[in-house]
Amino acid sequence: MKKQTVFTAILSAFLMIGISNTANAQFGKKLKAASGAIKLGKKAKKTSNKSSSKKSKGGGSFSSFNSETDEMAISGEYFGLKDTRAFGFKFVKESEGKIVNELHYWEKKAEEPQLKLQLKESYFTKHQVKLFFKWMSASASGYVEIIEIAPGVFAQIKSDRTINNYDTPSPLDASRTVIDVMAKNKSDFDTWDIETAQAKVDMILTTLKSANSDKIKKKLMRFDVYKNYKGKIAFAKGTNYLRNQKSNQPTEKESNFVTKRELGATLAFKPYFEQPLAASHPGSWFNITYEMLGEKTDREVLRKSSTKFSKNIPQIDKDQEKFYFWYPKVTVNTSNNIADYAFLELLRKTQDKLQAGNTYDLKVTVWAFKDGENIDPVATGTVQLEYTAGENGTKKLLFDPIKGWITVLEDYLDE
Amino acid sequence: MKPLTIIVTLFLLFVSTVLLGQESQNEILKNFTSGQYNVYKLNSKKKFEKIKKAWPIEFTKNGSNVSKVLVKRAGILDELFEADIPGYPAYFAFKNFRLSFIEDYAVYYEWNGKQQAKTKYVLVKPGGSFNEGFESINKDVATYAIATFKNQTGARANVKEAKAELAEAERKVNSLEGKSVSKIEIQLVSKPSIVAHFSEAIKYGVVATLKDGSILKTPNLGGKIPWDDFILSHEGASNTIDEVRVDENAANIPNDMIKLKITSKYHSSLKASKSINTTNNLSIQVNQNGFWGWERHKYMTVFQGVDGQHAGRADNLVVKVKTVSHKQTGVKINKIQIYNTTDDKLVAQYKLLPSTELIINAKGGQGDKGKKGRKSENKGGNGGNGGAGGKVTIIKDPSVSKCNITINNHGGRGGNGGAPYYSTGIKGNSGVSGDNGKISNQVKTVTLNF
Repeated sequence: MKKQTVFTAILSAFLMIGISNTANAQFGKKLKAASGAIKLGKKAKKTSNKSSSKKSKGGGSFSSFNSETDEMAISGEYFGLKDTRAFGFKFVKESEGKIVNELHYWEKKAEEPQLKLQLKESYFTKHQVKLFFKWMSASASGYVEIIEIAPGVFAQIKSDRTINNYDTPSPLDASRTVIDVMAKNKSDFDTWDIETAQAKVDMILTTLKSANSDKIKKKLMRFDVYKNYKGKIAFAKGTNYLRNQKSNQPTEKESNFVTKRELGATLAFKPYFEQPLAASHPGSWFNITYEMLGEKTDREVLRKSSTKFSKNIPQIDKDQEKFYFWYPKVTVNTSNNIADYAFLELLRKTQDKLQAGNTYDLKVTVWAFKDGENIDPVATGTVQLEYTAGENGTKKLLFDPIKGWITVLEDYLDE
Repeated sequence: MKPLTIIVTLFLLFVSTVLLGQESQNEILKNFTSGQYNVYKLNSKKKFEKIKKAWPIEFTKNGSNVSKVLVKRAGILDELFEADIPGYPAYFAFKNFRLSFIEDYAVYYEWNGKQQAKTKYVLVKPGGSFNEGFESINKDVATYAIATFKNQTGARANVKEAKAELAEAERKVNSLEGKSVSKIEIQLVSKPSIVAHFSEAIKYGVVATLKDGSILKTPNLGGKIPWDDFILSHEGASNTIDEVRVDENAANIPNDMIKLKITSKYHSSLKASKSINTTNNLSIQVNQNGFWGWERHKYMTVFQGVDGQHAGRADNLVVKVKTVSHKQTGVKINKIQIYNTTDDKLVAQYKLLPSTELIINAKGGQGDKGKKGRKSENKGGNGGNGGAGGKVTIIKDPSVSKCNITINNHGGRGGNGGAPYYSTGIKGNSGVSGDNGKISNQVKTVTLNF
């Protein structure tokens, strides 16, 4: 049994190495080596060792590429900032009668290029951004991307995302780190060091993200829910009525929203924003306030008021890039005993004014919050809460001697 | 001498910290001028290293205050940082980055919600010096920022006041306050096809006609009249702005119509109302099922062994039905009351067309499945028993000739037995299914006070 296990392990290791070699042999070692993320295969390793010993002599001349012209004005001999050897780029628009828009990369003289990168056409046609990419494997380390940051200067990017589709580059919300700069003229390296290239890439990404945000909003406007509720808060009897499976596809049904609910019963809510917080209020995060019967509670104020509230009211620093909260919030949820302590505190403060049979307006506001201040409201909504009569009505939900929401909060604060 | 030196040093440190905390960027920037700043970048070892090229920095002043700082990154990329609070800035912001000037340099950092700074660069003024570590510079800038936030009270109040003034000015322009208004009307955004319990929201707005003939509207009709201009007193529906929903309790809709009613806050004689008849034609489903075995712990203390928990039985219900005429249209409608006799609680009161289906579920809960058996036992856990269906009594008034009520009150299934610990063992027994509930029909005079 043991021998068999060892044999299987060795065989698996060989298979893994074999797969790794196959993948690595497929693309240029300069880009690969610069990414520093992929282990060199057997064959590439040998070549690499040889070339590293000749490193000072350079990787050969590709000056003949400079005579090539293309409509993108890219083709030519390039040098790396970190890996200083020369290599060649050729932009190929058409091949075998088809538009391909590829950037071919040579690091050694051969008929076929060592790597073919694909242009993200929409970025170029809409924003004149020249971004070329190639997924060598499904992992983040198998991704190669270069972006033109100035005429004749490219930044080589490392991304943190695994593949979604071989035909699309790493998404815009992925982290992109510049790992090398490539230029036709070595004198450009005086201006374009890694840091500067990173700053320029960040600027380009901001433009693309902003355009992407507009595109997402345009798509969201196809959904009645978003169209009717942007800037507002929708309420429902449970979070399940407000959730959806796919990002930026708010398929929740308006018919499941409520404008009146039993006080103390489960009430979920979801704010829809005109713009993601990161765009409308950069550097801010969210805060929520609740108002009823002239009283107001503020999550951030409560967080700073005591350790008990601080522990139970987490900061809302997610979803700044989204047009709505991915997970709806609840004031209270009776099925799993979860509540927003800021709402419970509102109930505690107003308990003497609450009377059976009456209905109260609860105003919920989601704020852009920064440096200890609510800056602007980003979504608001009002729902009516009815104090239902009867033994099992609101009185039980709020004041049950063991489980009542107010009882629980008061007991906790009295500890 | 030594203790005295330490005390003096500590005192001076305290004083300098306090003073540092009290100074806004405007004060500190008196010692700074536009020019080429040496840049120290944080490297991967969390140490600062000097970048070859200096970055130009330009200050924009508004009187004696600095309102903007332009950082020309690497001399070629413009990053315009703006004061957080004009008049008393603690930092200048560009996207998610902040720039605070302390001592001889500007700290270029990110700030998180936990009031922590993460320095990216340090930009040292011409002739200035910098010799700090990553942690200490983060701490310094955070201490400075937090202390300055506390001193921003006045400046923040001014900003708030200015914002409030702007908002108030805009409100006044759009409000009916102080304007000569001849009438206000309620206008539906779209005509609802179904007006019934649980139907979609009815969206409405308000149109005001001024005496000079001009028209003002609420935002959902394309205008800007603030909703705060109106007092709402809707009947038979939620009393909410923008949209209302028909009340779930028929007792709150005595006249079989909902009535939207508004009054101008600034012209008490100006009122508007709109009545909409209920159509009572939306099918409703009411659930009064027993709890499932897995959620038994929510209702009582349970012993957590390997056996699955037994489910709860459904509650017993009494359903009363009486046919009446719709008070507005005269069509026949059924008044239906559902009462939970187990909990002694009124569940629902509806008015539905005789042909509109009402589904009442009083199903027994499903038993919890048995857990995997213990190592010491040969058998897996037994499944929990299913709950019994509820007993439902339907009492129809002699006036009822037709009603469309479906009752589902079968017993819940027993949970499956759990697997044994070892594959050689035997599976636990499945739980017993709950008994089906009984449905009894009675015909007798029914009084329903709604």
